[in-house]
Amino acid sequence: MTTLATNTKQPFIKSRALRRFLSHRLALIGLVMVLSLTAACFIGPYLLPYDELHIDLLARFAPPGTGGHIFGTDPLGRDIAARLFHAGQISMAVGFAVMVIATCIGSVVGVVSGYYGGKVSAVLMRIVDAFLSFPSVFLLLALAAFIQPGPVMIALIISATSWMEVARIVEAEVKSLRNQDFVQAAHMLGMSNRWIMFRELLPNAIGPIIVAATLTVARAILLEAYISFLGYGIQPPLPSWGNMLNGAQQYLASAPWLAIVPGVTITIAVAGFNFIGDGLRDAFDSRSDHQ
Amino acid sequence: MTDEKKKTAHLNRRQALMMMGAAGAGLMAPLTIGRDRAFAANADASGQIVLAFSQEPTVFNPLMPHIEVDEGLYYAVYDPLFDFDAEGGFFPILAAEVPTVANGGISADGLSWRVKLKEGVTWHDGTPFTANDVKFSLELTMDPDFRSFRSTGYKFIQDITVVSDTELTWTMSEPFAPMAAILASTYIVPKHVFDGVADKNSTILNTAPIGTGPFKFKNRMAGDHIELEANADYHMDGPFLKTLIIKYVPDLNVMYTQFKSGDIDVIGLQYIQPDNLAEAEKLPGKVVEVAGKATFESLGFNMMRPQFKEKAVRQALYMALDKTSIIDALYYGVPTPTETYMPQQSYYFNENLPKHEFNIEKANALLDEAGWVKGADGVREKDGVRLSFSNSTTAGNHLREQAQQFIQQTFAMVGAEMTIKNLPPAVMWGDYWMNSEFDSVVVGLNTLAGADPDTSDYFMSTMSPALGGSGQNTFVYQNPKVDELLVAGAQDFVPEERKAIYEEIQAVIREDLPFLPMFQYAVIKGWKDDVEGPAPNINNRIDTWNVREWTRS
Amino acid sequence: MLRYILSRLGQSLILLLIVSFIGFAVLTLAPGGPLSQFALSPGMTQEQIDKIAAQMGLDRPVWIQYFDWLRHLVVGDWGTSYRDGQSVLHVIGSHLFATLLLMGTATVISVTLGSSIGIYSALKRGGTFDYAMTVFAMVALSIPTFWFGLIAIYVFSLNLGWLPAGNMYTVGDGSLIDYLRHLIMPAMVLALVDVAIWSRYMRTSTLNVVKQDFVRTAKAKGLTRRRVLLKHIVGNSLVPMITLAGLQLPMVLGGALVTETVFTWPGMGRLFLDSLGYSDYPVVMGLLMASAMLVLIGNLLADLTVALIDPRIRLD
Repeated sequence: MTTLATNTKQPFIKSRALRRFLSHRLALIGLVMVLSLTAACFIGPYLLPYDELHIDLLARFAPPGTGGHIFGTDPLGRDIAARLFHAGQISMAVGFAVMVIATCIGSVVGVVSGYYGGKVSAVLMRIVDAFLSFPSVFLLLALAAFIQPGPVMIALIISATSWMEVARIVEAEVKSLRNQDFVQAAHMLGMSNRWIMFRELLPNAIGPIIVAATLTVARAILLEAYISFLGYGIQPPLPSWGNMLNGAQQYLASAPWLAIVPGVTITIAVAGFNFIGDGLRDAFDSRSDHQ
Repeated sequence: MTDEKKKTAHLNRRQALMMMGAAGAGLMAPLTIGRDRAFAANADASGQIVLAFSQEPTVFNPLMPHIEVDEGLYYAVYDPLFDFDAEGGFFPILAAEVPTVANGGISADGLSWRVKLKEGVTWHDGTPFTANDVKFSLELTMDPDFRSFRSTGYKFIQDITVVSDTELTWTMSEPFAPMAAILASTYIVPKHVFDGVADKNSTILNTAPIGTGPFKFKNRMAGDHIELEANADYHMDGPFLKTLIIKYVPDLNVMYTQFKSGDIDVIGLQYIQPDNLAEAEKLPGKVVEVAGKATFESLGFNMMRPQFKEKAVRQALYMALDKTSIIDALYYGVPTPTETYMPQQSYYFNENLPKHEFNIEKANALLDEAGWVKGADGVREKDGVRLSFSNSTTAGNHLREQAQQFIQQTFAMVGAEMTIKNLPPAVMWGDYWMNSEFDSVVVGLNTLAGADPDTSDYFMSTMSPALGGSGQNTFVYQNPKVDELLVAGAQDFVPEERKAIYEEIQAVIREDLPFLPMFQYAVIKGWKDDVEGPAPNINNRIDTWNVREWTRS
Repeated sequence: MLRYILSRLGQSLILLLIVSFIGFAVLTLAPGGPLSQFALSPGMTQEQIDKIAAQMGLDRPVWIQYFDWLRHLVVGDWGTSYRDGQSVLHVIGSHLFATLLLMGTATVISVTLGSSIGIYSALKRGGTFDYAMTVFAMVALSIPTFWFGLIAIYVFSLNLGWLPAGNMYTVGDGSLIDYLRHLIMPAMVLALVDVAIWSRYMRTSTLNVVKQDFVRTAKAKGLTRRRVLLKHIVGNSLVPMITLAGLQLPMVLGGALVTETVFTWPGMGRLFLDSLGYSDYPVVMGLLMASAMLVLIGNLLADLTVALIDPRIRLD
């Protein structure tokens, strides 16, 4: 963690960062992966002749490519492709919702803690530590027992375990910035604390925040898959990438595509966001020594 | 299964009386044949069997609250006084003979009991087993400081008197026909391990159980397996195995794979999944058998909900339930369709109940007639009540979840909106179930105690916790006629009369449909072909009921 | 130094208290409870459930239950499992070996493999190997572990039949070979993510060291490449690695959970899941506290070791 905090700040130059990002091969690949997956999930359902909820017991376990089912059918004879695309809408929505919620919470906690320092910081950062001390799976499973696990609730629960990283990053950034001249100047001009925190300091930390936010999407999609696999996530018949895998273990020998199709999709989505995140990190980090 | 059914259906009065523990021991003779070779056979107990369960037995004191899988261990380590055989008759274990009216064990009014015990039985630690242990065990179930697994029945037992080391008597405060069935699932615990123990809930029985059963507890590798070894001094025929290992394999798929590869010899509780049946039957060197279970699957209603108040609604939903597709396609035809809660092997089973019919048009017509009108969204409505409800079950039971989604589709065709709200087990079966906080559920229930037909806990009006009752009537089913019949049935000791009573109860419940009966469970058991002994027994909850007889050649 | 350690320990205690409070509240306020597993058992009437709940003290207000639990914990009594009536420490202890075996093997694999990849990538920075490993690490971090486990089972157990699909050993065998055969798949699956993490960190820290003056000096002095590598680079890169190791410690519970589930491994991760499923509060709380302690100790040790090794870092 200490290594992250030592970056010296330079004014943030958008065009330069953009140029660096675009020259980052992996990031571009990631971008293509994410964009094409998103397109498939939102356009795909209109191209398929199947309804993702329609049950046809005569068409159970159709292997991929048979009977017009590109990815085959599931144990209830539903078209996996149709489910996969709808699931994608839900899983990605969860991912983005978590990103927004976690980034907001994390940024506020981080900037307040970093700006005020002292006792405020001590208390806030101990809370961050406390949350980090929980195995995130514990919080996820324990909280999931409380509520009806719909997409909104799952997004909130995952957010509750995902904001700490952002908080730490922002806190470190803000701490290193708060004694700089422009902050002193703002003080002298009589700016309110809130103005300084959110208009002066936070924008300067935008680079690391964007990186963390991107990685949060990846993490959220993964976590959704984990809890759904353990049976505590989004409940059927609503499909999500995670709950399509739940039960797939049962049919591993007879219908392996049930496990392979959603698993590969999750990996592509998560890898895509991770690639982008990596590219962004290099783009924003002026000292980057990447080629 | 069909053979068994015929056999039970033709039970004569005397045989049926056996089930009550209130008649002669005529049927005992064939069962005890061969038990004389007992001690000779013990000398060369050899071989080992690995028996796998998909849940972990953890409660080793049989009088504490436990689940089905724990009984898998009890049958090996402990003994009850007597037990049910597959036909629903009793055979003695610790008792010298099963108490009946004929042999003077039970008085004609059912109020005085006298039990004679076998001589020369010892606990695994060498202490002699006596009537004091039986008295202690029966009293322990009502001890206010002890976490007892049940009080039904025991609370009527009074004045337990130890006549001699091998004889004891007690009186019942009221006649209670199911008492014998309850005693059949009461494992006797050793009094001496409780001596001087301050907290009866934490004795050595929790960690290293001591019983009189065919196997001694050797060790437990938590989260993995329990090792048991032959009790050379066992008082019955057997055991014929040197070692019995109860293995815990939490994943059904892994369990089946290990059965296939030969790592486990007998596949126990939760068994082979229906989707593997076709393959399993072709496995070389394995015996695979479908066996009935007393549990029945149903879609149960919370009768307090306005949607379900009307009988026409429940009947229409029953018509919209495509049972055949569920059983044949999703469950591969393994379970048997049923119209009642009573297992078809039972003497008390009513075979003349109206047959279910899947008919969407009729269901729609019935609802139209009853005044339920379809709204703009296709969901019916009457007097401001929408025919919309949630359905819950344990999350993670994948076959049941599939059935649920399928039911959702056919219900929608009659204008009923069913949403799925599945919960983790600890939540599902907590207050949500006990206090009837659900709209509807899919649940597998065994409402019987052994072969006794009494189900007062489940269907008596006064037994709903949601209405301040003390039982398990979580469907909140209320019918004065059924109440009356249940009271009559529990106090009646004559099987023919009881059969008439319980057949009528089944008919009334079939008409009222507080739950939509789907099927009676059948499970797919499997073992290696050099294993002898595993046998179905609808009256006991788990496979090891006759583990003392299992052999390995 | 001593003052620093003491103050850190004090902070840790407060943190533990917060963690225990949140954990206890979340657990006990959730619907259901340890008795619900018996609801479908015959004879388990509401009357009976109420009676047992009262005997176990589960009918008391949550805060009283919490202080009761805390009071016992302070004197070293971690409570008794609701599931099998054994002491919590015993229950955890009996699952410890399986988890340590799995985590230990996975850690050895990931540290050796990950470090080697990391150093080599850094030395050949920008080369094909470096690039390939970057991609590998990113992909490895993106694969859901449990899914990777499933695919491994599908390939190596179901199709090829080389390895057992689950469990730690065959009952009745238990030889070293038998253990190894069972260990390979879960350890590799678990190591996958860690190899990725370690290789990334090792690459970064090696790069930082390579740039330092003393390495250039050493090279200039004519030391062999090999000696420079071993003595300076590896030695100096170890500092951040220790930090990482400290931060990885808590993963013992979280990381193993899913892998243990997929491979039916009888360790603490699955114990946690089982206990949570049965609302066995004492065991869940025990595991939670143990894991939180590991996090805090890991953090503290990491900071201290770094301070001891690297005199440039001052603790204040």
